[in-house]
Amino acid sequence: MGRLLTLRHAYPTSSRLVGTVVLAVLCVAITFTLTALDDSKLAGGAAIAIVIVGLSWLIGWSGQVSLGNSGFMAIGAYVTAIWANHHASTPIIFTLLLATACGAVGGLILALPSTRLRGPYLAGMTLAFSFAVAPLALNFPSLTGGSGGLFLNFLSAPRWFQGLFSGSQALIRANAQWTADVAIVVAAVAFFFMANLIHSSTGRAMRLVRDNDVAAELAGVNLQRTRTLAFAISAAYAGLGGSLLTLLTGSVTPQTYSLPLSILLLTLMVLGGIGTLSGAIIGGLIYSYSDNLVSLINKATGINPTSTFGANLKGIVFGVLLIATMLLAPRGIVGMGRRLTSMIKRPARES
Amino acid sequence: MGSFVTSRFITYLLGGISSGIVIALVALSLVIIWKSTHVLNFAQGAMGMFATFVGMNLVFKGTNYWLCVLLSLAVGLALGGVTERLLIRPLYGKPEINPIVVMVGFLGVLESAIPSIWHTNLLPVPTPFSQIYYQDHGHTILVSPFVIFQVSLALGIMGGVALLFQYTNLGLKMRAAALAPEVSRLLGVRVNRLLTLGWILSSGVGAMAAVIVSSGQSLAATNMDGIFVSAFIAAAVGGLESPVGAITGGLLIGVTESLILGYWSSNMAPLAGVLVLVASLAIRPQGIFTRNSSRRV
Repeated sequence: MGRLLTLRHAYPTSSRLVGTVVLAVLCVAITFTLTALDDSKLAGGAAIAIVIVGLSWLIGWSGQVSLGNSGFMAIGAYVTAIWANHHASTPIIFTLLLATACGAVGGLILALPSTRLRGPYLAGMTLAFSFAVAPLALNFPSLTGGSGGLFLNFLSAPRWFQGLFSGSQALIRANAQWTADVAIVVAAVAFFFMANLIHSSTGRAMRLVRDNDVAAELAGVNLQRTRTLAFAISAAYAGLGGSLLTLLTGSVTPQTYSLPLSILLLTLMVLGGIGTLSGAIIGGLIYSYSDNLVSLINKATGINPTSTFGANLKGIVFGVLLIATMLLAPRGIVGMGRRLTSMIKRPARES
Repeated sequence: MGSFVTSRFITYLLGGISSGIVIALVALSLVIIWKSTHVLNFAQGAMGMFATFVGMNLVFKGTNYWLCVLLSLAVGLALGGVTERLLIRPLYGKPEINPIVVMVGFLGVLESAIPSIWHTNLLPVPTPFSQIYYQDHGHTILVSPFVIFQVSLALGIMGGVALLFQYTNLGLKMRAAALAPEVSRLLGVRVNRLLTLGWILSSGVGAMAAVIVSSGQSLAATNMDGIFVSAFIAAAVGGLESPVGAITGGLLIGVTESLILGYWSSNMAPLAGVLVLVASLAIRPQGIFTRNSSRRV
């Protein structure tokens, strides 16, 4: 055990790579045991986890609040849909990279005026941006399909992968699992980059800017550039997540990427734990099974899910969860877990 | 003269001022909270709509319009106090992101709770004054008795708030509590009470803004969303500390929005706030109406 820890300190990047690959292979192996429904839920969760980790990075590590990440998701989503409709045979890796780049450019443009702002000003600016996205999409219907949105062919499994399945609904199962596996691999790559970024010199500079910007400036950190970079990276992750989500669902509508999504992203991030990678994964998992959670509450309380109250229950539950987490356990599930483990460890050390 | 008043530009300008005055009112309510507790209330619009739903829904059941306005005001005031006590007070001294997140959560709760409490009613709330626009030699001016009522009510509330802060003992105490809480506490001012009072006052102003907006419209939980965003930008343009700046910013955004709406496209109107903010940041990043450029570290 001690040996492993030394290895981890000696080769941080390689050990992170090994860790990511092991986790990803494990997740892919699990998808083989799941039903098609669970697979497609996990795929959506992986896409959202990518967006959450980008947001978590921005809020937790650089100390800037953004409510505009649903807007950057929309950029990624629309770029993907428009590109896929014109160049259907492009490999998805290229489409994903293109969407990521477009998200980053969008982030850079918004960062130019925004990173001069602090705290609430910045949150308000990004809020305005997330409000402006849907009207912008509606104003160029020839490009974006207006309020009906755009449709594209969603991901389908290649021949060799379909060959792994047999029996009834083999094709559905193959496609669902293929999307889940693709999403897991993309998420693994994204998380690997983030894990390295956090521990790089840029990541350390970012933390210094968050904790004390005057000290950071004296230490030679360029505040403006560091904040802009954080913003652009967060936007790139949102673009990637939006693109992946579009490829999974096969459609984009302007209504999807509005303020409620930004609130949901914030909720999931806070629930998981601000500024932690594992918190982002937990947030993605909660997103995957949020409908199950709500229907569980429906069943327990006997609320009719088709009534107006039932239809709005999800919003109420997540809003209350967000407030309760912030008031009672502001470091989220990960923070609670860490506190528990330290409580268990401490008496052991004393004895 | 007649052709001047009915010219397109003046028409849009008048329309912009009448919508801008409501933005200014919400911006003012945000500034009141910001000055007293340094919290940006993201749920301000939704809280106003909640109060409006409680009061103005009774108009459809035949209750007197003015009685309903008073009820909405009372609910708005109470909601502000309760929110401060339950949601904001535990967060004083915590990182500034915590109250932002809590109020965003409250916004989500309110916008889901309102439609599940009240059934959708597509009928517009009746107005006490005529909504028919005045005519000038056959040309329409975008002003009606109702618009005059809206603008004068908003101006009246602003005037009342200004009088309270400038000329009353209570206003003086509130200003002192916001400016130097420690010193005020030592001098016997009950700072915590005044912070709650600041929220009560602000929420009341927000509720009145929601009532003004919702009269003549059908009630919807999201009625105030766009106005809140514009109002926030207006407050930011003014520097978040300055009531005069917030009101000026509100009018500026209202007019810009109206001009974009008239000369360009209705879909582009939400861009008005972003345009005004970017322009003002380029000229004076510390806000148009702030005197010193220092900030707390």
